[in-house]
Amino acid sequence: MNLTKNLFATFALFLTCASLAQAHAFLEHADPKVGSSVTASPATVKIWFTMAPVKATSNIRVFDAHGTEVDRQDLTVDPHNDLLLSVTVPKLPPGAYKVSWNAVCIYGHHTSGTYTFSVQPPPP
Amino acid sequence: MQKLFQRAALACALVILIAPAPIRAHGFEGDRFFPPTPLTDDPFAVDELSLPEIQYNPASANRELDVTGSFTKEIFPKFALSIQDTYVNLNPKGGPAQDGWSPLTLNAKYQLWEIPGHEFILALGSDFTLGGTGSKALPSYQYYTTYTPSLYLGKGFNEFPDNLKYLRPFAFTAVIGYDLYSNAAASNALEWSGSLQYQLDYLQQHVEDIGLPKPFRDMIPLVEFQMTTPTNRSAQPTTGTINPGVLWEGQYCQLSLEASIPLNSRSGPAVGGLFQIQFFIDDLFPKVFGHPLFLGDNK
Repeated sequence: MNLTKNLFATFALFLTCASLAQAHAFLEHADPKVGSSVTASPATVKIWFTMAPVKATSNIRVFDAHGTEVDRQDLTVDPHNDLLLSVTVPKLPPGAYKVSWNAVCIYGHHTSGTYTFSVQPPPP
Repeated sequence: MQKLFQRAALACALVILIAPAPIRAHGFEGDRFFPPTPLTDDPFAVDELSLPEIQYNPASANRELDVTGSFTKEIFPKFALSIQDTYVNLNPKGGPAQDGWSPLTLNAKYQLWEIPGHEFILALGSDFTLGGTGSKALPSYQYYTTYTPSLYLGKGFNEFPDNLKYLRPFAFTAVIGYDLYSNAAASNALEWSGSLQYQLDYLQQHVEDIGLPKPFRDMIPLVEFQMTTPTNRSAQPTTGTINPGVLWEGQYCQLSLEASIPLNSRSGPAVGGLFQIQFFIDDLFPKVFGHPLFLGDNK
């Protein structure tokens, strides 16, 4: 069928022209997990992205329930995995925390997002 | 027809290769990504490429196959122009096949009001369906131009409280337009369409990581509708379709598959379907697309 052949030809031409480079970094997964409740304060908040963000223009910030930033503002790129960014946090008291991230790729395209996790109080 | 497709492919490649500034297929408002859906034009004035959208209804009297391509370019910050056309193939039972282009459609759109914290966006725009540009061989040929000024809406449901947090992935988009014809004899009509989506990627990334594996975590179940209500000939009922389906978002493209259920007997005799590939051309060509042509990057 000529129509089908021509559609495939169009796809092939288009995809041949494409550089297949990624321009947007999205959250793949995080530790603590998005929306999770952990039993002890994490030492770091880690986010794995779908592509490597540029450290100089990206950030991860952690806020407590009052909106106070609690992370140490020491964004680190894992030396063995440039998809993994993290910040350290002091021992967090029980409560809800909001993580806000911004990621900028090498082409300057920007993505951002937020999620929460909570630290449970110790068992009685 | 083969030559036409070859020319279309060449034109597409040329546009992409020589365009002096970046396509941004991604429409974000706060944490929310509003994907382009097959029947409801999204409210973002961003770079987009849909090639092709295939709509087929084998059970209809004409057994119509539509192949649509559209390209949108952000010209100024929050203002975009697009061009769209459809190749129509009719294979009526007991009759000769008919092929041809539908009228060329241009669109201008401006993002008027955005509230990222509430995942809300309102845009204004208009379609211009150019009379005399389609194939005279098709029954739908019109010699007059249609203007369709429209409102475009997008809203995510991020305000749901914690005890209803699993409702936060819901989002809807809507378009309300009014057909104004350059031919006074034609009946004006209200065009209204929308989509209700449950975004599994939003659930995973912003609400709760429930451990959904790929490809399910990148899917968006949705229901779309597309309706036409004639306004100055009240005897004509509303026609349209209701389209349940699913989107899958990849890094470079999005695939959509929807059933097309006629609203009533005037809307069609049986259930059809549509399939769309939407390329994220800012990811395919990150050096070229993703910014307005003029006045810099407002993103």
